[in-house]
Amino acid sequence: MSEQTTYDAIVVGSGITGGWAAKELTEKGLKTLVLEAGRPIVPEQDYIEHVPTWEVKFRGLGDRKQLLADQPIQSTCYACDEWSSKFFIKDKELPYTTPPDKPFRWIRGRQVGGRSITWGRQSYRWSDLDFEANSRDGIAVDWPIRYKDIAPWYDYVEQFAGISGEALGLPQLPDSKFLPPMEMNCTEKLVRERISKHFSGERVLTIGRAAILTQQHGERSACHYCGPCERGCITRSYFSSLNATLPAAEKTGRITIRPFSVVHGISFDSKTRRANGVRVIDSRTRAAIEFRAKVVFLCASTLESTRILLNSSTTEFPNGLANSSGELGHNLMDHLMGSGAEGYIPGNEDKSEIGRRPNGIYMPRFRNVKSKHPDFLRGYGYQGGAYRQGWERGVAMVSFGPEFKNSISRPGPWRFSLYGFGECLPNHNNHVELDKQNLDAWGIPTLRISCAWGENEEAIRKDMAIAAAEMLAAAGARNIEAGAQEDPPGFAIHEMGTARMGRDPKTSVLNAFNQSHDVKNLFVTDGGAMVSSSCVNPSLTYMALTARACDYAVNQMKKGEL
Amino acid sequence: MHRRDVLRLLATGTALQLAPRGLLVTLAEARRLLSDQSTLRTLNPHQAATVRTITDLILPRTDTPGAADVGATEFIDLLLTEWYSQPEQTLFMNGLADVDSRSKALFSKEFVDCSASQQSEILAALGDHMIEDATEHPRPQFETSFTETNFYAMLRRLTLTAYFTSEKGATEQLHFEIVPGMYDGCHTITPAKGVSEQK
Repeated sequence: MSEQTTYDAIVVGSGITGGWAAKELTEKGLKTLVLEAGRPIVPEQDYIEHVPTWEVKFRGLGDRKQLLADQPIQSTCYACDEWSSKFFIKDKELPYTTPPDKPFRWIRGRQVGGRSITWGRQSYRWSDLDFEANSRDGIAVDWPIRYKDIAPWYDYVEQFAGISGEALGLPQLPDSKFLPPMEMNCTEKLVRERISKHFSGERVLTIGRAAILTQQHGERSACHYCGPCERGCITRSYFSSLNATLPAAEKTGRITIRPFSVVHGISFDSKTRRANGVRVIDSRTRAAIEFRAKVVFLCASTLESTRILLNSSTTEFPNGLANSSGELGHNLMDHLMGSGAEGYIPGNEDKSEIGRRPNGIYMPRFRNVKSKHPDFLRGYGYQGGAYRQGWERGVAMVSFGPEFKNSISRPGPWRFSLYGFGECLPNHNNHVELDKQNLDAWGIPTLRISCAWGENEEAIRKDMAIAAAEMLAAAGARNIEAGAQEDPPGFAIHEMGTARMGRDPKTSVLNAFNQSHDVKNLFVTDGGAMVSSSCVNPSLTYMALTARACDYAVNQMKKGEL
Repeated sequence: MHRRDVLRLLATGTALQLAPRGLLVTLAEARRLLSDQSTLRTLNPHQAATVRTITDLILPRTDTPGAADVGATEFIDLLLTEWYSQPEQTLFMNGLADVDSRSKALFSKEFVDCSASQQSEILAALGDHMIEDATEHPRPQFETSFTETNFYAMLRRLTLTAYFTSEKGATEQLHFEIVPGMYDGCHTITPAKGVSEQK
């Protein structure tokens, strides 16, 4: 029997946004094909969150030589470890190049579920401080939407995904439809009090807002605090497409998930000016297949979606499909990460934690909110938390013997950390282009990525370290260490931009509904659509934009517009 | 003490602290016999005995298992064979040889043949050297790199890792539970007696 090749809708990618597109489109009645480049994942077999250190060969240190050989870039991510390295790509199969002076770390996952299996689960709404930022600063182009346009869609995706957190009523970080927050530990509460007092309530420490259930939510169970979410979750307590949206799509009976399907191009019908096919290489057989649908959603991740479009040039679009603006591939952004401070907090020696809370604290942006900072535009938020040191502290000690053994087996001093996530300005020069000389394992042209931090980012980086150290001092920390790590772009794994939204087809790739200005039945709803980067984690916004775009697309189809 | 008993004690790493000095010849023979059965791939019998002795001095058996009980030497041999780079392996092997140089200089014996108090004296000296190294080449405290430049720091890290990531070390000593099933951020505990680590 030959394979069905025609569907109502095709979704490229099965991660955070592909999962949402699949759920929304199938629930609205569309027969939907999800094309995933990687292998299928069977939670009962592939999730490994309860495999203890003593059951893995290198006790959690990872197969270092293998990692260095196969995954030298991926293994710089904390989650690409002895358990979860299988959820990351092999770097050799999917190369990319950069100028020597502009390193970029591209961390990727190719399997059903994509990077939603290993993501950090931090979930924050953006605000008009973000959506108005480009317009206010006269940078790049204006967002074609405002908070009021996306707010109902945040409500919608949050109620399905399940976001735990504490409502604060802050204009710069709107509250979600929260499940009960996770608890802050006693030292985090102590630090919150001291910082709030010292900075007259302007700097707020709150528990991280996380896509992790703190109570039963539909068919998904509350978190059982085993700790390493990035290895999967058999109780489906954290949100991922595998745990939540794909099962919902499967219930409709209208989804077909096709793994091992490497998409390398979109076909364009010059008469109808519509996308009329998605070109696939089967990664097992290397057979070329083309699938057809009325509407195509690119949800392959920021740079992969852009790569597919750049690799789909036609006579009408010689520089990449849907690229009449020339902005496709440009304005690549990420978040600044790695600058902050740590220290010891005296007190609470008789208190410790039970359970491994897979979430830290968050401090919402306070720079350029009420008053203007002299050195930079925009701002940053902090993540971090307090924990009691474990046995690892015994390495640097000189003592040994029974007393030493007993002592380091008990909780050590409380340590508290604050690390910033800083906003990156959109910059036309930070871009990717197609590299037809260097091909990936399936013969597809790769990307040449050219991206560097600018002066504004460097100023933010510095301030993130200094302000963190000042707050630790205000919190009574000892032995404070501040650092401004020079991590290259990409490492926050919040890469976004390169197919931005906008009002004007001459300066943007997508309209206010993530729809291509040029090719009306083509949507890009992953991070590629972002016009600025905000300083908060972007995934929740991708989810809301995807659900909103699906609603729009189906309405347009009903009207016969697509 | 029969040779079989010595072998048993040696296997658990306690022999060198308990054995009367007259048994040293037997011990040397026992080590050879034990090593014949061993599957160690990088450490030779003498090196393995040295490692086993040091790891068990660092984390001895108490009311819970010690480093030797959980196979710390075997884990260290695995990492030396498959995980560390050549320069790191050399650092470790040279460090082991230095342990014997120190014991010979001080006590005219190989380390494993020294008394427990002599061995402790040597570990203390290695500790002093580790602190000097750390002072000369400071590393940020939050750096979690597994690679060390000091032999004793490397051995301590290996010993602690081998022990606390083992099933017995994690469950019997740390009371680690795979599924805690709850989170309490302010659980009251009894502070350790006689230990001050306040920074």
